[in-house]
Amino acid sequence: MGFAEEIVYLVSTYGVSLFNAMLLTLEITSIGFTLGVLLGLPISLGRVYGPLPLKALLAAYIELIRGTPMIVQLFFIYYALPLVGIKLDAFTASIIAIGLNSAAYQAEYFRMAFGAVPREQWEAALSIGLSKWSTITNVIIPQGVRIAIPALTNELIYLLKYSSIAYFVTVPETVYVSKVIGAKTLLHIQIYTITAVFYILVAVVLTKSAKKLEERVSIPGLVVKGRI
Amino acid sequence: MGSDKLLFIEDLHKYYGKHHVLKGVNLAVNEGESVVIIGPSGSGKSTLLRCINLLVKPDKGRIVFDNEEITTGKIDVRRVREKIGFVFQHFNLFLHLTAIENVMLGLIKVKNYPREKARRIAEEALLSVGITEELWNKYPAQLSGGQQQRVAIARAIAMEPKLLLFDEPTSALDPELIGEVLKVMEKLANEGRTMIVVTHEIGFALKAADRVVFFDDGKIIEEGSPEQVILNPKTERARRFLFSIRELYRLE
Ligand SMILES: Nc1ncnc2c1ncn2[C@@H]1O[C@H](COP(=O)(O)OP(=O)(O)OP(=O)(O)O)[C@@H](O)[C@H]1O
Ligand SMILES: [Mg+2]
Repeated sequence: MGFAEEIVYLVSTYGVSLFNAMLLTLEITSIGFTLGVLLGLPISLGRVYGPLPLKALLAAYIELIRGTPMIVQLFFIYYALPLVGIKLDAFTASIIAIGLNSAAYQAEYFRMAFGAVPREQWEAALSIGLSKWSTITNVIIPQGVRIAIPALTNELIYLLKYSSIAYFVTVPETVYVSKVIGAKTLLHIQIYTITAVFYILVAVVLTKSAKKLEERVSIPGLVVKGRI
Repeated sequence: MGSDKLLFIEDLHKYYGKHHVLKGVNLAVNEGESVVIIGPSGSGKSTLLRCINLLVKPDKGRIVFDNEEITTGKIDVRRVREKIGFVFQHFNLFLHLTAIENVMLGLIKVKNYPREKARRIAEEALLSVGITEELWNKYPAQLSGGQQQRVAIARAIAMEPKLLLFDEPTSALDPELIGEVLKVMEKLANEGRTMIVVTHEIGFALKAADRVVFFDDGKIIEEGSPEQVILNPKTERARRFLFSIRELYRLE
């Protein structure tokens, strides 16, 4: 059998389990990322605009997450939490680990984006009598989120690849299933070629969609140089 | 202090670190009066305006606005700012909102007007500064500087402020766009609005101001009628400064 036929063989024989594995990868990635946004946004707000103790606490959280490997965070959630009575299945543990991890990074991206909103926007909002909170929700977040899109896209693609750490707690995601198939058929290079193509394709689609989204929400006249 | 005094500033001081920027400013503005402040760059004119709407906290002295001391700790800053419109040198429109949304935001979020009412008021305000319907749904970056500044003025007056502050509203504009903004400001002055305008447009001052104040090195060093201060200044400092400005205008 040539290389191409071996690939065809793998796909036709293991297509369903590969497909399910890829679906699982996409699930872990998307849920983990969403969790990251839902936590990261409030974390960044608390870190920038909150009271001092909260700021310190959130900064410590971010340092803790960024200072330890994601795999350690996952092991901690999967193996250590049951010791205090919190038992999670491997899939849930993976999503939580990825979400908590991503939240710290996303909080930093949001923080930078909010910082990039011109100071004059604050002054204008305060000068018409808006409160600090109202300024944040009506002016800073809408502008900051737009600024954050490219960084968040990177984060999403990063998570797509790092969702494979779920492998270490035996979630049958793409890398895990590939390894099993590789061991069974000894077609290692072939199966990992399929896997690589999958990751690349998804990454390309994500990048393209993010670009579209960025254009869609871009502020008319502001990004595009010159008058319309 | 008479009851017709809308604004009363007494011995106002501001430090930026060790830098003494306002060195005891005394100024009273009557209801309906339009006051022009002229003075060299760095003399503290913007700082003074920012103190009045509490964007900057003064270090010493008193500001009484609308019969209420606003330089005490207990004051509701937002309520004060709602009553004072501020027009910035660089317009500072909300970049992500259209012209009309810029005007509506404060009406909805600060005055809690329903959307429909806010829209009606915003349309009226925009029309009054000559921004017609085809521009209402444009974003700031799609408007000329003169149009942006007029939208910014509409945003300020839509809130029905008791006092309007202008901080060099035309100095970021191309020369051919200055006129349209000054015309709007003249109209506001003629309507009897109370306003303080920091500007070097002596033509505007002569036409529309009730009083001109010459500001230098953190203090008011001369004030009086526009004719007197601009055409016939008493102090050497004001004479020199105004002379250089007049030269500039003649050259244009
Ligand atoms: N936020 C700030 N921090 C430190 N120094 C400041 C700050 N704002 C203004 N200053 C300083 O205070 C002084 C007065 O500034 P201000 O902007 O009030 O002057 P101005 O009269 O408005 O000048 P211009 O005509 O250039 O606008 C300047 O020396 C300026 O550098
Ligand atoms: Mg200034």
